[in-house]
Amino acid sequence: MRELLRLLPYAREHRTALVLGNGLLLLARVFEAFVPQLLRVGIDGLAEGSAPLAWLAFGILALTAARYVAIFYGRRAVRRMGVEVAWDLRNRLYAHLQRQGPAFFGRLRTGDLMARAINDIGLIRRVVAQGTRTVLVLIFSSGVAFTFMVVQSPSLTLLLIPPMPIIFVVAYLSSQRLYRESMDVQEGFSTLSDRVQENLGGIRTIQALGQEEREVARFGADNEAYLGANLALLRTNSALAAVMPGLGGLAVLCVLYFGGVRVLSGDITLGTFTAFVWYLNMVLWPVREAGNMINLFQRGAAGCARLWELLDAEPEIADRPSGRAPERVEGALELDRVSFRYPSADTAALDDVSFRVAPGETLAILGRVGAGKSTLLHLLVRLGEPTRGEIKLDGVPLDEYGLAHLRRSVALVPQDAFLFSESVRENLSYDDPDRDRDELEHAADVADFAETLAGFPEGWETLVGERGVLLSGGQKQRLTLARALVRRAPVLLLDDPFASVDAETEERILGRLPQLRGRGTTVMVTHRVSAARLADRVVVLEAGRVIEAGPPDALRAQGGAYAEMERVQRRERLLVQQLEEGGDAA
Amino acid sequence: MTGPPVTPKPPGPPGRLDHAVFDADLSGRAFDLRLALRLARYLRPYAGLLVGSSVLVLIAAVMGVAMPVVMTRVIIDEVLFPTPGRKAPDFGTLAALRGIESATGLDPLPAACLLYASILLVMVGVMHAQRMLLARACLSALRDLRQRLFAHLQGLAPSFYDHVAVGRVMTRVTNDVEVLLELFWGVGMLVGEVVPFFLALVLMFAADPALAALLLLSLPVVGVATWLFRRATRVVYRQVRQSVSRLNQNLQENLSGMRVVQTHVREPRNLARYGEINQENRRQETHAVHLEVAYGGFVDSLNGMALALILGFGGVQVLGGALSLGTVVLFARYTDLLMRPIVALGEQYNVLYRAMASAERIFQLLDWDEHLRTPATPRALPERLSGSVSFRNLTFAYPGGPPVLEDVNIDVAPGEKLAIVGATGSGKTTLARLLSRFYDFDEGEILVDGVDVRDLDPRALRGRLGVVLQDFHVFTGSVRENLELGEATVATRAEEAARLVQADGFIRALPEGYDTDLTERGGNLSHGQRQLLSFARVLATDPDILILDEATSSIDPETEGRIQEALHRITEGRTAILIAHRLLTVQEADRIVVLHHGRVRETGTHDELLAQGGIYSTLHALQFRDPEEGGAPA
Repeated sequence: MRELLRLLPYAREHRTALVLGNGLLLLARVFEAFVPQLLRVGIDGLAEGSAPLAWLAFGILALTAARYVAIFYGRRAVRRMGVEVAWDLRNRLYAHLQRQGPAFFGRLRTGDLMARAINDIGLIRRVVAQGTRTVLVLIFSSGVAFTFMVVQSPSLTLLLIPPMPIIFVVAYLSSQRLYRESMDVQEGFSTLSDRVQENLGGIRTIQALGQEEREVARFGADNEAYLGANLALLRTNSALAAVMPGLGGLAVLCVLYFGGVRVLSGDITLGTFTAFVWYLNMVLWPVREAGNMINLFQRGAAGCARLWELLDAEPEIADRPSGRAPERVEGALELDRVSFRYPSADTAALDDVSFRVAPGETLAILGRVGAGKSTLLHLLVRLGEPTRGEIKLDGVPLDEYGLAHLRRSVALVPQDAFLFSESVRENLSYDDPDRDRDELEHAADVADFAETLAGFPEGWETLVGERGVLLSGGQKQRLTLARALVRRAPVLLLDDPFASVDAETEERILGRLPQLRGRGTTVMVTHRVSAARLADRVVVLEAGRVIEAGPPDALRAQGGAYAEMERVQRRERLLVQQLEEGGDAA
Repeated sequence: MTGPPVTPKPPGPPGRLDHAVFDADLSGRAFDLRLALRLARYLRPYAGLLVGSSVLVLIAAVMGVAMPVVMTRVIIDEVLFPTPGRKAPDFGTLAALRGIESATGLDPLPAACLLYASILLVMVGVMHAQRMLLARACLSALRDLRQRLFAHLQGLAPSFYDHVAVGRVMTRVTNDVEVLLELFWGVGMLVGEVVPFFLALVLMFAADPALAALLLLSLPVVGVATWLFRRATRVVYRQVRQSVSRLNQNLQENLSGMRVVQTHVREPRNLARYGEINQENRRQETHAVHLEVAYGGFVDSLNGMALALILGFGGVQVLGGALSLGTVVLFARYTDLLMRPIVALGEQYNVLYRAMASAERIFQLLDWDEHLRTPATPRALPERLSGSVSFRNLTFAYPGGPPVLEDVNIDVAPGEKLAIVGATGSGKTTLARLLSRFYDFDEGEILVDGVDVRDLDPRALRGRLGVVLQDFHVFTGSVRENLELGEATVATRAEEAARLVQADGFIRALPEGYDTDLTERGGNLSHGQRQLLSFARVLATDPDILILDEATSSIDPETEGRIQEALHRITEGRTAILIAHRLLTVQEADRIVVLHHGRVRETGTHDELLAQGGIYSTLHALQFRDPEEGGAPA
C-alpha cells in the first residue's frame, strides 16, 4: 500500500476536485439516509391504517432527485480527476523515458514498457477515480447509517460488533493475496508480450531451424502460466465476493432474529425494524463491496509499483552542463584512455582507447564486428558514459556539455537505419520540421538519395512504413545518412552506414561530403578499406583496443592488420571488377 | 468493414496494398453474427463447463429470488406481522418453514432465520462455483485462441514478415485476446442477471398483477434511457479508443527509435506531439466521463423512484386491505432484480463493440493465408538424404522487384563442397533462401535428391538442411539450450559442434559456461560470437546438406582460419554449399560457381577454372601477388 501513498501529491494537485467531489458524494449519502425514515413512517402508518402516502412518495422522489444531483457533480469531479492523473502520468512517463539511456532499455523491453504505460496507468486511473470516493463514501455511509441505527435502537446496533473482526481478518488476508496474484497476472501478460515480440523478431531463424513447434510449446507454457495466474486471481476474487456478502448476510440475520423478537414483544414497531434493516444494508455495503475494493486497491498498488519502478530510474546520462562548453563547436575530439564495459558483460568493450581528431579532419575506424567501434561512437554522443578515461570536445569534457547542445553539435548516423512511419520529408527533417526544402534537397542529393526520391510517385510525401519497412535496405541507409547531413553538425559520426550500399556509391557519397560539410570533423566506422583510404587518419580496433593508428598510407606501409585488410578487400573489388568486365564481354 | 483478404497476392505494388490492412484501424460493427459464431466455436470444447455454469446460475437465481420471499412472505407476513391483506404466494417457503419447525422444534422466528441463513449460504457457495466454472471455460478458450494465433504466426511465410511490423501483429495476440475475455466473462455473467429478472417478474405478477404491471411499464423508460446513453457513448468510445491507439503507437515507435530520438534532440518535439495526442485523449475521456456519470446517477436513482412508486400505489392498496405489507416490501426488494439486467446489458454493449473490433483483427490475422505453396500430399523424404541438389533454369524476382536470379543451372553432387562466389546483390543469398524454401518460385526448379522441393513439406525439408543465416537469432535460455534446441539426440553433438566451429573457447569463458543464460537477442554476446553459436547450432542438428551463407563474415580472421582448417571435418559426409564473397573460403571447395547479377558466369573445379583461363583464374593469380603491383585497375 506504500506504493499508493505516492499518489498523494497528485491528489493534492486536484485538491478542489477531491474535496468538492467527495463532499458532494457524502451529501448524497445523507439524502439517502433519510429515505428509510420516510419508509419507517410509511410502514408504521400502514400498520396503523393511515399514512400520508402521497407526501411520503413525493419526499422519497425529492430525496432521490437531490441525491442524483449531488452524485452527478460529485462523481464527475472525482472521475475527471482519474482522467487528469492518467493524463499527467502519461506525459511524465513519456518525458522520463526519453531521458533514459541504453542500459535502461536493455533491462526493460519495449513490450514490458508498453504494458506498463497502458495497463498499469489504467489501473492507477481507476484507483484514483474510484478509490478515494469508495473509501470515503463507504466509511461515511457506514457512519451515517450507524448513527441512525444507534438513534433508532442502540441495543440492536451492538449486534453488529461480533462479525466485524472476522470481516477484517478475511479482508486483510485476502488483500495480501490479491496483491500477489494481480502482480502475477500483470507480469504474466508482460511475459507473453515479450515472448511474442521476441519470437516474431527471430522468425526467420526459427523457421530455418524448424523450431516452430518448440516455440509454440514455449509459448504454450507461458500461456498456461498466464491462465493459471488469471484463474488464481479470479478464484480469490470470487471467494471474496462470496464470503463477504455471506458474512454480511449473517449480520443481517442476527438483526433479523433479535429485531424480530423485539417486534413480536412490541418493543419496536415494524417500521423501525424495516428502517433498521435498511440501515444495516448501508452499513454492510462496504463489507459486500470489500472484495471489489480490495481488488481495486491491490491492482492499483501493483500498477503503481510497476510504474514507480520506471519513474524512479535515474537517467544514466546526467544532463548537467557546466557552462564551460563553447557556444560554437569547432570539432576537436580527444579520447584519453577511454574504457567501457557493458553492465552485463565480463570483458571491456573498449579498453584504454586514446586518440585525437583535429577540427576538419576525417578519421576512419576499422575493425571486426564486436571490436567496439559502435560503442565508441555511442560514447561520443553520450549514449553511454566511459567506465574509465575522458572524452573531450574542443578541450571540454563531454559531460560538461548540455546533452541537447552536444547532440546538436555531434550528429550520429546509426548502424541500424531506423526510420519513423512518416513521410520521407518528415523523416529527413526529423530534428527540425521547419527546415526549408532547399536544405533537404541538398542533403538528399549528397546522400545519393535524390534519384531514388524522384522515382517515388509521391516524392517527399511518400510514407516509409513502420521502421521504414517499405524502403529497401540501401534506401533506408541513404535516407538515414541524409537525415544526419541536413543537420550540418560540426562533428559527423558515421556508423558503417554504407553496409547495404555498394562501394562505388559509398565513395561517391564520401567524395561529395566535403562540399556539404566544409570544415566539419568526421569519424567514420567502416568495413571498407576503400572508404578508409579517403580519411586523413585511420584507427584499427580489435577487441576494444587500438592496434594500429595513423594515416592510411603509413599503415599500409607498416604491413599490419590494415595492410592485410586492404589486400583482401582489394582482391575482392578486383573480383567484382572482373565480373563486371566479364559481364560486358558476355 | 474491410473485406477479409484471403488471397494476399493481388496484382499491384507488393507489400504495400495488401499488407496495409494491418496498419488500418478496423471499424468494427456492433454485432457480427459470423464473428460471434466463430468465437463461440472456441468455447465449444468447454461446453461442459458452460452447461455446469448455467445450471448453477439457475440454482443461484432461484435462491436469489427466494430470499426476499422468505424475508417478506414468511418473516414479515407470517411470523412478525400477520396483516389481513392478500398475501403473495409463498412458493413452498412456508412448507419449508413448517418442516424446519417440526424437525428442530424451534419457534417460528428462529426457524425462519435458519431457513434464510441456509438459503443464503448455499447461494453464495453456488455462485462461487459458478464463477469458477465460467472463468475456467472463458480463460481456457482464450488460451486456445492465443495458442492458435501464435502457432499460425509460426507458419506464415517470411514474405509476410518482410512487410508487416512486428508490433501490429503482437498486439493481436496479446491485447485483442484480452478484450475478448471481457466479452466472454460479461456475457457469462449476464445470464446470472437475466434469469432472476424473469423469475422475479413471474413472482411479482403472482403476488399482485396490477403493481407488477405498473413496474413493468416503467421498464421501457429505463430501456430507452440506456439505449440513448449507449448511442451517445458509442461515438465517444470510438474516439477514445482511437486516441488511445494513437497514444500507444506513438509511444511504441518512440521507444523503438529512442536512440534516433535522442541523438536528434527530438525529445521536446516528440513530447509536445505526444502531449497533443494525450490532450486529445483527455478531452475525449472527460467527455465520456460526463456521459457515464449522467447515466450512472440515473441508474442509481432507479431504486428510489421505484420505492416511491411502490409506496405510493402499493400503500394505498395496503390501506384498503387489498395487499399485505410483506408484498409491498417484496416489490421494493425486487425492483433491483428488474433493473439490473437492463443496466448490465447496456454495459455489455460497449464491451461487445470493442470485442467485435478485436475479434475482427484476430480473425483477419488467422485467415491471413500467406503460406508457401505446399502440396496436399507432400513426398516423403528418406531418413537420410544422399544430398544431391540441382538448380534447373531457375529464375526469380522478389514480388515487384527486378529479377534476382536468371536462368540459373547448378548441379551439386552428393557429398560435394560447392562454393558460390559473387558480390553483394549477386543473388547468392536468394539461392540459399529458395533452396531452404523461404520463398516460392515459379520459373525453373530446384531438386533435392531428384525431388522438386515444391513437392516436399518445407518443414521436413528444412529439417534435413542446415542453413546458417546471416541474421542470427539467439533464443532466451542457456547456451546449451540454444545449441540443443530441445532435442536430446542433439545434446551429445552440441559440444562437439561448438568445438568444431571454435565456439567452445568463448562459451567456456562465459560465467557459467554452457549453462550461461543468454538475454534477448543475445545481448551479452558479441556479433561474432552469436554467429559462431548459430553455426554450431546448425551443425549440431547433423544436417545432410549444409548451407553456409557468409557464415564467418563477423568472425575474426584467426578464428576464421581455424574454422577453415576444420572445414573438411565440418562438411564430412554431407553436401555443403558455401556462400562467400571472400575468396579465402573458396579454396577448400570441390567446385566453384561464380555468380553475378543473378547469372552463373563460370562453373567448374578449381583446376578446370584455372585451365579455362576465365575470371577465376585471373582472380586466383591475384591471390598470390599484391594486386597493386600487378598493375590492376584501381
